[in-house]
Amino acid sequence: MSKKVLIADDEELVRNYVRRALAGRGWEVTEAANGAQALELAGRCGFDALVCDLKMPDMRGEEVIKRVRQACPAMKIVAITGSVSDIKAPLAPGVQADGFLIKPFGIDEIRDLLEKLTKT
Amino acid sequence: MTSKANILVVDDEPQIADMISSALQLYGYSVQTAMDGEQGVAKVGANKYDLAIMDIQMPGMDGITALGEMKKLDPEIEVIIATGHGTMGTAIESLRKGAFDYLHKPFEIKELLKVVERALEKRKFNDITRAIFSTVKPEEQLRVIIDSVTRILKAEESLLVLPGRDGQLYIAVSDGLEDPGAAASRLEMCSRIMDAPAETSKSAVLSENPAGDKRFAGVSGLGGLKSSLFLPLREDNKPVGLIVISRLEDETYFTEDDMQRARIFASLVSLALRNSSLYRQLQETQGQLIQAEKMSALGQLAGGLAHEINNPLSGILGLTQLVMENTDKAGQNYADLKDIEKAVFRCKKIIVSLLSFSRQEKTHLEPVNLNEAVEETLTLCARQMELQHIKINRRLAPGLPMVNADFQQLMQVFLNLFTNARDAMPDGGELTISTALDGNGGRQAVVAEVADTGGGISPEIAGRLFDPFFTTKAVGKGTGLGLSVCLGIINRHNGAIKVADRPGGGSAFTLNLPAL
Repeated sequence: MSKKVLIADDEELVRNYVRRALAGRGWEVTEAANGAQALELAGRCGFDALVCDLKMPDMRGEEVIKRVRQACPAMKIVAITGSVSDIKAPLAPGVQADGFLIKPFGIDEIRDLLEKLTKT
Repeated sequence: MTSKANILVVDDEPQIADMISSALQLYGYSVQTAMDGEQGVAKVGANKYDLAIMDIQMPGMDGITALGEMKKLDPEIEVIIATGHGTMGTAIESLRKGAFDYLHKPFEIKELLKVVERALEKRKFNDITRAIFSTVKPEEQLRVIIDSVTRILKAEESLLVLPGRDGQLYIAVSDGLEDPGAAASRLEMCSRIMDAPAETSKSAVLSENPAGDKRFAGVSGLGGLKSSLFLPLREDNKPVGLIVISRLEDETYFTEDDMQRARIFASLVSLALRNSSLYRQLQETQGQLIQAEKMSALGQLAGGLAHEINNPLSGILGLTQLVMENTDKAGQNYADLKDIEKAVFRCKKIIVSLLSFSRQEKTHLEPVNLNEAVEETLTLCARQMELQHIKINRRLAPGLPMVNADFQQLMQVFLNLFTNARDAMPDGGELTISTALDGNGGRQAVVAEVADTGGGISPEIAGRLFDPFFTTKAVGKGTGLGLSVCLGIINRHNGAIKVADRPGGGSAFTLNLPAL
């Protein structure tokens, strides 16, 4: 059974290549274009992993991660950001992302990280 | 020169006006006359006079009123009032209105000349003081002072002697010292005076016939000096330099009056020296502020920009790699895609270093031994240096006080400086790191110098060296941010960083950090 991942980023360009990179490795990928969508989709805990941008127009990614983390403790969460100043954000209390990638990241980086996190 | 002074004689009695003007002309002054107060004031409005000699009782506008009007037109003009049957009262009133002095008629020509001379001298002093303080450039101030002192004291030679950075006395400004050989003898005299606390505590030291003066026993080359006047300059009760005013053969000795004038000059020089050091500090601070401003503006820009750029950059990278997966590795397309990928990584590197200097990172200050920071950094790059045939010279002063610093950030600074030095010496050379204590100027500082034997820094680029993105390295080799990062760090440490060409070639960066 293929693993499911939700990718939340307002940048279509980023969602596009992340989706294709992961789909090529057998992931079933769903996309969210903003924070509210991400919460709605992830809130049902139907994903093995969430890849979440920290800077989205409607809501900070930390907030999304916090709520998903509370609702679905088993879900693996990877924070992604284009801003190095966000470097400590994923580690903040309550956020505690499982992984963190700074843009620009390559396709192998996201593949390897997710595979490592969801290995059973 | 006194012969060039312009004098206006205002008197309603033509014979008196004529008498005064011919007497003054005889002594080389250039004189004009006016018949009454109105005419006198009009002339002052139209021409530049150094001095007016004015009768007090005239038809129409009287002398006292005219005096006030003249001072309004030309505040610098000196006025001598001549009173025919004047009372003490009018004389005093004229002084109150700004007259330099008054003369009772009938007066002797000798008397007149004396007062005129004194008035012109005061005038000259005022002019000089104004000249001195109208320029803020310290070197110019000192030059004006020394040139004037020679003139006013009718001397042939004036010097300002100051201790240099190494403590050795040198002639900072001189007037009338033509023979370079004489400089050594003058400096030797000065060091004798400077070494004698009994002398430097005086406001003036006079030596008549220095060649025969036992204080200068053994100093050669003093034969030409008739008399020399030394004025010790003091700051915070410490001797900080000397003014030497000398008359050569066939001149009269310095009088008590001369000494008095010379003391005034000495105090002007002290003031100018103080100004000069304040001016230098001001300029340095201004430079640092401008640099800090530039960096903080760029930092804000960079922070916002990075996020905007990193998103599309991430897209370029990811998509490129996706296409590469479906491309024949042997073809040109694959090679092109590989280049795009590399270009993205280069951009990423630039952005990271840009951010690393724009980030308002907390600086963790703790007592740090600067020598240790140097040593640790050297350990990191010793191997690189060896590979590039660069010899490392350590001249680290033992027992330096600690500095309040962030050890990691200091290492970052040194690493940057060492790397730049290495890149400046592609064919090998020497890297010399010296540390020292600088106690000059009251506050103690620890100084580190990183010097290379590379090509040096041309004056055109020296001013831009610390500008963000300024680089002389080949495209892709440097981001041009290294030195701006260093500057940012050193600024946060309340220190200073400077660069200078070394006399023997190469360049030297100097760090200055306040000592604990």
